[in-house]
Amino acid sequence: MTTEGDTSVERGAERSPEVPQASPEEAAKDEAGAAGHGAEPRGKRSAEGEATFLVAIAEAMWEEMERDDSVFLMGQDIGVYGGAFKVTEGFLDRFGPERVMDTPICEETIIGTAIGAALAGMRPIAELQYADFIANGFDELVNVAGKHHYRVGERVPLVVRGPSGGGVRASSFHSQNPEPWFAHTPGLKVVVPAFPTDAKGLLKAAVRDDNPVVFFEHKWIYRRIRETVPDDPDFTVPIGRADVKREGVDVSVISYGAMVHKALEAASDLEDSGISVEVLDLRTIWPLDTAAILRTVEKTGRAVVLYESHRAFGVGAEVSAVLAEDGFDLLDAPVVRLAPPNVPVPFSPPLEDAYLPQVEDIVEAVDKLSKW
Amino acid sequence: MSNGKARDIWGEPVRTSASARFDRLGLKEEDLHRLLYYLKLCRYFDERMEMLYRQGRLPGAIYSGRGQEGTHVGTGFALRREDVFLGTHRDLSVQLTKGLELKRVMAQFWGRVDGYTRGRDGNSHVGSFAAAGTFAVVSMLPDSYPVACGWALAFKRRGEERVAVAMCGEGATSNGRWHESLNLSSIHRLPAVWIVNNNQWAYSTPNRLEFSVPSVAVRAEAYGMPGIRVDGTDVLEVYEAVGDAVERARSGEGPSLIESVSLRWKGHAGHDPARYVPREILDDYMGNRDPVKRLQDLLMSEGAVSEADAGALDERVKKEFDEAHDFAQRSPLPSGEDVTRGLWTEDGYWDSDPRGDGRTE
Repeated sequence: MTTEGDTSVERGAERSPEVPQASPEEAAKDEAGAAGHGAEPRGKRSAEGEATFLVAIAEAMWEEMERDDSVFLMGQDIGVYGGAFKVTEGFLDRFGPERVMDTPICEETIIGTAIGAALAGMRPIAELQYADFIANGFDELVNVAGKHHYRVGERVPLVVRGPSGGGVRASSFHSQNPEPWFAHTPGLKVVVPAFPTDAKGLLKAAVRDDNPVVFFEHKWIYRRIRETVPDDPDFTVPIGRADVKREGVDVSVISYGAMVHKALEAASDLEDSGISVEVLDLRTIWPLDTAAILRTVEKTGRAVVLYESHRAFGVGAEVSAVLAEDGFDLLDAPVVRLAPPNVPVPFSPPLEDAYLPQVEDIVEAVDKLSKW
Repeated sequence: MSNGKARDIWGEPVRTSASARFDRLGLKEEDLHRLLYYLKLCRYFDERMEMLYRQGRLPGAIYSGRGQEGTHVGTGFALRREDVFLGTHRDLSVQLTKGLELKRVMAQFWGRVDGYTRGRDGNSHVGSFAAAGTFAVVSMLPDSYPVACGWALAFKRRGEERVAVAMCGEGATSNGRWHESLNLSSIHRLPAVWIVNNNQWAYSTPNRLEFSVPSVAVRAEAYGMPGIRVDGTDVLEVYEAVGDAVERARSGEGPSLIESVSLRWKGHAGHDPARYVPREILDDYMGNRDPVKRLQDLLMSEGAVSEADAGALDERVKKEFDEAHDFAQRSPLPSGEDVTRGLWTEDGYWDSDPRGDGRTE
C-alpha cells in the first residue's frame, strides 16, 4: 500500500464547486490510459498493478455485473458521464443503458425503485452522487428497505452506495458521514471500508447479500490509497467483521473509514516514543463486530474510539457502551472518544482542520491514555 | 343470461346498453357474479371490522374503504395474477380481490402467526408478493410508487408481460415521490399504471386545499402520459379504465394515470367521525352512488342477478367472514421470544413454520 501525500488533489465532481478538480496530470492520465468507455477497471491499475480505492470499487461492480445479469446500476450521471467521481467510467459501453441507468435527480425514487427491483429479484446498486444526498432518500431506505424483511419476510437485496466524508474542503453538504443514521436503523447493514482490498471484497459481498446494504466510500481515500487487490472473481470480505490493521499492545485505536489512515500514521509516530498502538478497522459499522472490539481491548486495556461522524450519539457511543457493558473488567482506563464536534462540517481550512481529528490529536490522546 | 331477462317480440334477450357494455368488457355472467361478490365481501368486511373495533374487540386501527369499493374492486378485478399491486392502508379490498386470503388477513388484524406478517405488522399493513402479487402496505405515502417503478423496471428488463399497478389517495399526490415516480416511469416507458383514489378528503383536508388544478388526472400531461378521470362509484367504469391502462402498459406503450373519484364515507381512521364532510355530500354519495348497490341494481335490472342470487352472495360473505374470524381467533399469538428474529435473511426465521414450535395462545 502506498499513501499519497496531501499535495494530491481530490478528483471531484465537476458540477460541484466545493470539491477541487482533478489535476491536469490526473486528467491526462485518465484520457490517455485505458479509461475510456468499455474499458475494464483493472486497466486503471498502476504500472505496479496496484488499484486505488476508487478502482477497487469499480472492479467489484464490474466483476459482479459480469457474474450476475441481475446486478445493475442506477444513479445520477453514472452512465454517459461515468459518475461524478468517475467510479462507473466505462460501464455504459460494456453493460448498456439498461444496466447502467442514468436517472433524473430524485434520490427518494432512485432508492425506492431500487427496492422494487430488488423485490422483483434483481440486484440493484443505487449510487448517490454524494452520501449527503441520502437524506433525500431517507424514507424509502429507513421505512421500506430496512423494515420489509422483518415485516413480511420478503428479501430486498439492495446496495446503496455513495461518497462520504470530509477533509476535502467540500463543506457541509458534500462532506458528511451519515453512517450512524443507518446503523441506528433496523434492517440495514452499514459498511465503511478504508482500504482498496476491503472495499472490493466488501462491495462484492454486499452485492451478494440478500439484505439491504448501505455502503459509504470515503472520498478522501478514493485516489490517495492504493494497494494490490485480489483478482479472484469470487473474492469477498465478510460483512460484519473488523480487522486489525496494525498490531500493538499498549492502546487500541478503534476506527473506520479515512480515520483508519490517520490512526496508522499516528501509530507510526507513537512507536518512536515507545507506545505500541493496535489499530482496529471496524470496516462494518452494523452489524458491529463486538468480539473484535473486546479482543483488542483484552490485549491493550485501553481504547480510543476514533471516528469522523459526529461525536455525540454515534459509533463511539456504541463502541464505548459495548466496552462498558461487556468489557469493563478488561479496561485499565476510561474509553476515550475522538471525533468531530456536533456542528456541520465547515469549509475554511482552519475550521475544517479544527473540526476533524488530526494525527497530532490522536497522538496526544493515545499518549495521555497510555499514561492513565 | 338468467331468468327474468327482458325479451323482445321474437323471444330473444333484449340487448340493452348495459349488456352491450358487459360484452364489450368481456364480462360473462359468472364474472359479473364474482364482481358483485367481491364488492359485497369488501363492504361486509369493512362494516363488521368497524363493529368489532367499536366494541373494543379488535386491537389496533382500522381504515375504512367504504364507498370506494368501486375503485378498489374494479382495480383488483382488472389485474392478472402475475401483475403486482402496491397500495395503501385504505385499499385492502384490492388485495382481497387480487387474492389475499381473508382468514390470513384477519389473523393479521389480530396479530396472529397465521397472518401474512406473523404479527410483525397489524391491520391493513399487509401484502404478499408470493401469495397474491401485492406489496405489504407502508404508511408513508406514496412510498409504494417508487417501489412500483422498480417492479416495472424489472418486468421491462426481463421482457415479462407483467404490469406494476400502484394506488394511493389524492392526498399522497402532493408528495414529491408521486411526481418523481410518474416522471421516471414515463421517461423509461415502464409498464406501470398509477391509480389515484380521489375520495375528496385527505384526512380532514379537502381537494381545494390539496391542489389548484381542476383534477389530479390533468397532471398526467405534465409527465407525458394519458390521464383519465373516472367515476369510482361505478365499478365497471373503473374496471374498464384500469383494464385499458394495464393492457397499454403490457404492450409496451408505457404508463397511464387514472383518477378514480368517489367519497370516503367514514373518517380517516376508526377514531375519526369526519364531521368536516358536509352532510349533504355524504347523503348524496351514500344514497345515490353506493358502488355496491349500483352494480347490484344494474345486474338485477339486466336479469343477470336475481334476488335469490344476491341473497345467496350476502349469506356467502357472512359465512366466509365468520369462518375467517374464527380462524384468526384460533391462530396462535407469536412468542415474545421471537422479537429479534427475521430481521436478517440469514437467520432463517421466515423459512421456518410459524406454528412449528407448537406455541399457542
